[in-house]
Amino acid sequence: MFVSSGDLTAAAVRKGVRIMAISKTEIEKLAKLAKLSFTDEELERFTAEFDEIIAFADTVNQSIEGGTEQIRSVDARMVSFDDLRPDEVVPSLPNDKILSNVEGYNGFFKVERSKK
Amino acid sequence: MRAGIYELAIRLRNREISAVELTKAYIDAIEKLNPAINAYVYLTFDTALKAAEQADQMLKEGDAPLLCGIPMALKDNICTDGIATTCCSKILKDFKPYYDAAVWEKLKAQGAVLLGKTNMDEFAMGSTSETSCYGAPLNPRNTNYVTGGSSGGSAAAVCANLAVYSLGSDTGGSIRQPASFCGVVGLKPTYGAVSRYGLIAYGSSLDQIGPLANSVKDAAIVFDAIKGGDKRDQTSVDYDYGSSLAECLDRDIKGMRIGVAEEFFEGINTEIKSKIEKAIKLFENNGAVIENIRLPALKLALPVYYIIACAEASSNLGRYDGIRYGYRTSSYTGIEDMIVRTRSEGFGDEVKRRIMLGTYVLSSGYYDAYYKKACLIREEINREFDAVFENCDVLVAPTAPNTAFPLNHKGDSPVEMYLSDICTVPVNIAGVPAISVPCGEDSRGLPIGMQIIGRRFGEATVLQAAHFYEQSAGKVIGDYEGGAGI
Repeated sequence: MFVSSGDLTAAAVRKGVRIMAISKTEIEKLAKLAKLSFTDEELERFTAEFDEIIAFADTVNQSIEGGTEQIRSVDARMVSFDDLRPDEVVPSLPNDKILSNVEGYNGFFKVERSKK
Repeated sequence: MRAGIYELAIRLRNREISAVELTKAYIDAIEKLNPAINAYVYLTFDTALKAAEQADQMLKEGDAPLLCGIPMALKDNICTDGIATTCCSKILKDFKPYYDAAVWEKLKAQGAVLLGKTNMDEFAMGSTSETSCYGAPLNPRNTNYVTGGSSGGSAAAVCANLAVYSLGSDTGGSIRQPASFCGVVGLKPTYGAVSRYGLIAYGSSLDQIGPLANSVKDAAIVFDAIKGGDKRDQTSVDYDYGSSLAECLDRDIKGMRIGVAEEFFEGINTEIKSKIEKAIKLFENNGAVIENIRLPALKLALPVYYIIACAEASSNLGRYDGIRYGYRTSSYTGIEDMIVRTRSEGFGDEVKRRIMLGTYVLSSGYYDAYYKKACLIREEINREFDAVFENCDVLVAPTAPNTAFPLNHKGDSPVEMYLSDICTVPVNIAGVPAISVPCGEDSRGLPIGMQIIGRRFGEATVLQAAHFYEQSAGKVIGDYEGGAGI
């Protein structure tokens, strides 16, 4: 089912080989989804690194003879919902303990005023 | 020769030494060596001494468990009630959990003495422990080299005799690879064999807690003490391993079928390859049957691992928003801005890279091409392992394609570092158990690790093969001089 296209992982990191390119705009969009932000300098570096990481991840698409359909035909079970335990109500941890890491918690979370 | 858990347990019972004296010896050693090695990031000496006093009381009353009074360490991603647990990340700096992880609950009940929390890659993401916000731990065998990762501090603490044993976590090799780099034993149990309740999640379908120790027997004793199902971790299983794994170590390996897959040896450093081949010969000369087998899908294990682990990480790390615990940015304009700034300032570069990759492979348009395909290939890898274990009892492979990297060796790119996980990630993908045992040194004197992989819940056979090798191979690496001296 699988064929080797040489040393796939080595191919992915070979300098100058870009299996697919990712733009700075796409990185910015992803960062928004991931609730992260980058400075211009970070963005520059990150885009180059990320391009290589995606090329590496992309080897899963390159190496399957006959594309994904062949593997898709396999009866793969991605998530099992068998053998789940019954949903029993049990005591939970006390609130004051759970919130002991929140500085100055007095029943409310303190955040900076955002509407003037 | 350093005393193992069993020998220490006898000395404690014979009153040759008390748990308090033993603990003090380790505290002295940590105070002396830890500033240089940085194996521990948080020390718990006061509670350790109190626990040691209680252990002495338990020993006096008789019938104490084997681990009673034995000083040990926990990786900084294993929750300890009221004791800092930070995953070596700025975003969790000063975080004190409000409950104990299941493994610590079990060990504490058995009289274990916790010396402190050990250094690690931030959120267990890395292969050198250099992404820790506290700075990297150093390899005690040569402080110009890394410990490996992500359980680098746990490996360094055991190697330098700053703990009798430690616990680590292994998502893609994070127990076995640092064990290999530091010349200690590291066991990644079967997925589900040990409860992960209280382990701060990275890749939930891959994470597993296991012991790092100075011998296979010690690793077996600790695994015996922490294994078992737990209804708070739905993936854990109460598998019946029999009475004690440590007791079945001495069984003969005659007739044991050992699989050797050429895929594990591609691109491996020649010094490592020759040491593993020598070890395979030793097994063969003692009656094991060597089977040459193939695992073709292993070629895809690395990208599959990084896709699945990062996808799960991007979801697991979504909870860090600076509201209920951990770091919060000092200045922001609104709730969204607060979360984004908190995460951007709180997470390190490698964690951000993995969250971004995970977000990418799960995003609309790429889900089928990456995440779903990786899950399907994972099934194929599982099938190949299942087929191999119909004819083999264990597989033997290198633990890592290289020995320890020099400090600050970043490689050409992050991907180059990912490649160093090539021998360990297939084991996590398949959920099978594996151990790393020292099998020699390279020309620079750095330890080499051999990996022995078993079928699901086949820890007894894995430990038996590893113990046989350890006992038969003679001295394969030099002793570490120093530490607690016990």
